[in-house]
Amino acid sequence: MSYQEHARILFSLSLSLQKQTLCIPAGEAKSGILASTEEYKFVEQLISPSRVPFPPKHDGPSPFGWNPPSEVPLALPHMICRSRMHNVPASEKDVKEYLQQLTGKHLPTQVNEVTMTFRVKGHFDTALKEWLVKKGF
Amino acid sequence: MSFTKKPGGKALDILQNLPRITLANLRPEPGTKKAEKKRGRGQHGGNRSGRGHKGERQRGNRPRLGFEGGQTPFYLAIPKYGYNEGHSRRAQYQPLTLNRLQYLIDLGRIDPTQPIDLTQLVNGRGVTIQPQKRDYGVQLVGEGAGIFAAKVNIEVQMASEEAIAAIERNGGIVTTGFYDPRSLAVLCKPVPFFLSGQPIPKRMLPGEDMVPYYTDAANRGYLADPEKIQKARIALAQKYGYVLPDISKDELFHMLFMRKDPRQIFFGLSPGWVVNMTEKKILKPTDDKLLQYYNS
Repeated sequence: MSYQEHARILFSLSLSLQKQTLCIPAGEAKSGILASTEEYKFVEQLISPSRVPFPPKHDGPSPFGWNPPSEVPLALPHMICRSRMHNVPASEKDVKEYLQQLTGKHLPTQVNEVTMTFRVKGHFDTALKEWLVKKGF
Repeated sequence: MSFTKKPGGKALDILQNLPRITLANLRPEPGTKKAEKKRGRGQHGGNRSGRGHKGERQRGNRPRLGFEGGQTPFYLAIPKYGYNEGHSRRAQYQPLTLNRLQYLIDLGRIDPTQPIDLTQLVNGRGVTIQPQKRDYGVQLVGEGAGIFAAKVNIEVQMASEEAIAAIERNGGIVTTGFYDPRSLAVLCKPVPFFLSGQPIPKRMLPGEDMVPYYTDAANRGYLADPEKIQKARIALAQKYGYVLPDISKDELFHMLFMRKDPRQIFFGLSPGWVVNMTEKKILKPTDDKLLQYYNS
């Protein structure tokens, strides 16, 4: 296995055309430029996607520990969709109940109706994530 | 209750049913406006108005901050040392953990079947690089080496030994390459650069202080000898105790061995070319001097 064969990428060799002159007489416009469309595919690879890509299929949790949403939609009165980055959101009442079971305390929460978010005082992110993932969201 | 919630919800319902809002109807939330403390008024605020009794304190003639009554003050007694000297001129490398890389690959933001470049990382919003703020690229950090399980061909600017080991253990390839600030800006934001109509610049070689780093096989430098890199791979496998997988028998063998020329910024595109995005064409120079310059 040698890197030498693959370590260098060849540059394209151009044909030897007439050199560009300062005063080009009318009717003899020879530009010293080659145009090609073959390598444009490399440019297309560099363009950033404008939409968040769909995650590929995993069997069970991914190596990182991210769980895909369950395929079968659950029979619940409300649907929680994954956030735009395919992470997991939560709803206030359920979370309050769950945390009360977990910690035995009534925790302060603050709801923001406009942005549809709410905050809980305390560090619960991993516990909440696991609980929601178990529920199948 | 319907599952689609209106943003604003109850607050907006209340607003719709109440009379018109005017200045007469508004009041600040209790607790937001605290009354200002007025000096020199009333039984307790008056008399000396909180200034104490005579002396510099009451007369407002205290010495400067840091003065210790004549004793050599702390800020002069301690000797100077250049801890932060030239801090704004130091090269910075944004860390990229293996945890984060795995997360990006799992969520489909980065494609492991193509060589992973700084452009791909920025397009997948994996890292944020600010070339104007003395960022010289991305450094691969070994956090998450235990869970990393992806076979990738990745090119970064710096990499820690554990990170290199983790990637090579999974059959991938790491390369460290140098990008001067202009090339880095072009690499991070290729589309605005192409739209500007300038020819792709050639990547500059590293400065004197970074040449030893990039010619060292242990760092998988792009200027290092390929044979020494091969030996370093075997040595690292022995050090970390894993079997080095044979990449030459891999199906993605060709992709894994794709590497850039030291003067090349993008895969497949040479310096000197102008990209026309509206017409989807690439314009290449034919003048001898230009070719000589760009191919050197």
